[in-house]
Amino acid sequence: MAADVTPADELQLHAAQACEMGDLLGVGVIAVNRDLKITCCNKWIERSSGRTAAELVGMQLQLAFPELRTFAIAAFERAVQGSAVLLSHGLHRHLFSFAPPSGLERFANMQQSARLVPMTDGALALIEDVTERVAREEEMRDAFSRADAANRAKANFLASMSHELRTPIGAIAGYADLIGDGLFGPVTTTQVQHLARIKSVAGHLLRIVEEILVFARVEAGREEVNLSAADANELASSAAESVEPQAIQKGLELRVSLGSVPIEMWTDQVKTRQILINLLGNAVKFTPSGAVTFSVMPLDESGRIAFLVEDTGPGIPLHEMERIFEPFTQVDSTLSRSHEGTGLGLSVSRKLARLLGGDLTVASEPGAGSRFMVTLPLISGGASKRKLSAAQVAAEV
Amino acid sequence: MPIVDMDALTELFNVGLHRAAASLSEVTSQRIVVDLPKLWLLPIRDIEVRLRELLAGELATVHQVFSGAVAGDAVLLIEQDKAASLTNLMTDGDAGQGGRLDESAREVLAEVGNIVLGACLSGFGDMLHLKVTFSVPSIHVDSLGAVLQALAVESNEDQFAVIAATRFRLSDRAVEGYLLIAVGAQSLERISSALTLHGG
Repeated sequence: MAADVTPADELQLHAAQACEMGDLLGVGVIAVNRDLKITCCNKWIERSSGRTAAELVGMQLQLAFPELRTFAIAAFERAVQGSAVLLSHGLHRHLFSFAPPSGLERFANMQQSARLVPMTDGALALIEDVTERVAREEEMRDAFSRADAANRAKANFLASMSHELRTPIGAIAGYADLIGDGLFGPVTTTQVQHLARIKSVAGHLLRIVEEILVFARVEAGREEVNLSAADANELASSAAESVEPQAIQKGLELRVSLGSVPIEMWTDQVKTRQILINLLGNAVKFTPSGAVTFSVMPLDESGRIAFLVEDTGPGIPLHEMERIFEPFTQVDSTLSRSHEGTGLGLSVSRKLARLLGGDLTVASEPGAGSRFMVTLPLISGGASKRKLSAAQVAAEV
Repeated sequence: MPIVDMDALTELFNVGLHRAAASLSEVTSQRIVVDLPKLWLLPIRDIEVRLRELLAGELATVHQVFSGAVAGDAVLLIEQDKAASLTNLMTDGDAGQGGRLDESAREVLAEVGNIVLGACLSGFGDMLHLKVTFSVPSIHVDSLGAVLQALAVESNEDQFAVIAATRFRLSDRAVEGYLLIAVGAQSLERISSALTLHGG
């Protein structure tokens, strides 16, 4: 029996199956024989072209669809000779120009791509309606260009804000100093106290503004890395010195354990110090009593160094462990009321550590204190001194 | 390694690329020239070193399997950003905008690969007077390592590759691409003897 099946029968059988499948998948199917005569088409084709299968079957492809360009006809010829061909939407946007008598706009403007698949004694064209996909891509492109414009606006905003915000705060503190110095006439003791308060609050505001600006610059990929040679012990010790007064004020013990020999690093000193001060400041801020331990440890053979900040504070519950690195987050809302700050410190620190090719991690248990670890490469971003933008560093890491 | 007349092989690719350029010009309604600056034939184990000299970063590849008198893998390799700009030029800025290889750009690139690889390989078929047929082109954006892995064939037969450096020139711009044809020793032997017979 099988010997009686001719290649033409086989084509017809497979084509009929493909047509059925095409309708299920929402794909147009046209089968042609070796002479490019249509042998079969599915309901999708009938619906889109406004013609019945009975009209189309038996017609020469070029006559049924006169709009097909010579290239498309040549592609069908290659397909019946055995090679699969792809006709992309980008180069053949209205391959089959469907303009049904019903006059449905959707069909008339349909964007298509087609795959021509060789079959025994003919070929199948699988036609896909990509109108929606193309529209979606168009929307995405628009969204991208809007986002680009928004990013540029943000960068300009940052540049002007860093100047606009810092200058008046500087002026407030400066004038408070001048008044306090008696430059504009004598001042009473109470006035001196109030002026000192103005200065302290202005200083605090300046730190918050700085933190927000660093965060925004890193987010916008505009933070620059300035690499230079530094001793890790010196960086650590200067960071510890700057938080020591707060620790003493709270009655906390600050234990600093440095390496016995200088540890040379090639890094951005300002950023490294900023990360360490952030972590130490946090530890002091959130530890009501006990000690804050700070140690420097070169990590053998990995070419990295670790800075450890351990405290005897309340600790961090497991479910909050990653959340603390999100911007504007402090673990406990009751704590956040008693501890001032933007909630940006850890987020900025982690971003800066990553910008330098390292990372910031935490281990903690409620009631047993927290242990923050910054690991940094001993040589950040290559061996030569250069300036890198955040985007470049991210690409290199 | 079989001795292959490289001049004749180069000429075969030249003819194929000329045909491909004519097809691409017709489809895009703009003048497109596809040059063949250089051709290499080497054992498949040596292609990684050569390709690393030629290409960097993420690659857009169009892969087709061909079968018949000669059988193997045909791949068009273009650096991703160059692929996006090529599709952008070919579609008058519709596809590959902003250096992105979105679905439309990928489809265009697959068609370009289909045309270029088909034109070059059908040269072998014509020369051997035998049919060479191709699978549907598949497009990938991958590292070179992943591309090479996809080409690894488990076979006792020695494998060889022809790498052809090409250049698509259109609208005063030129985009470099590479064709890689990987075949077994038997297929290469057939190509070699056909070149001696018809080419020399």
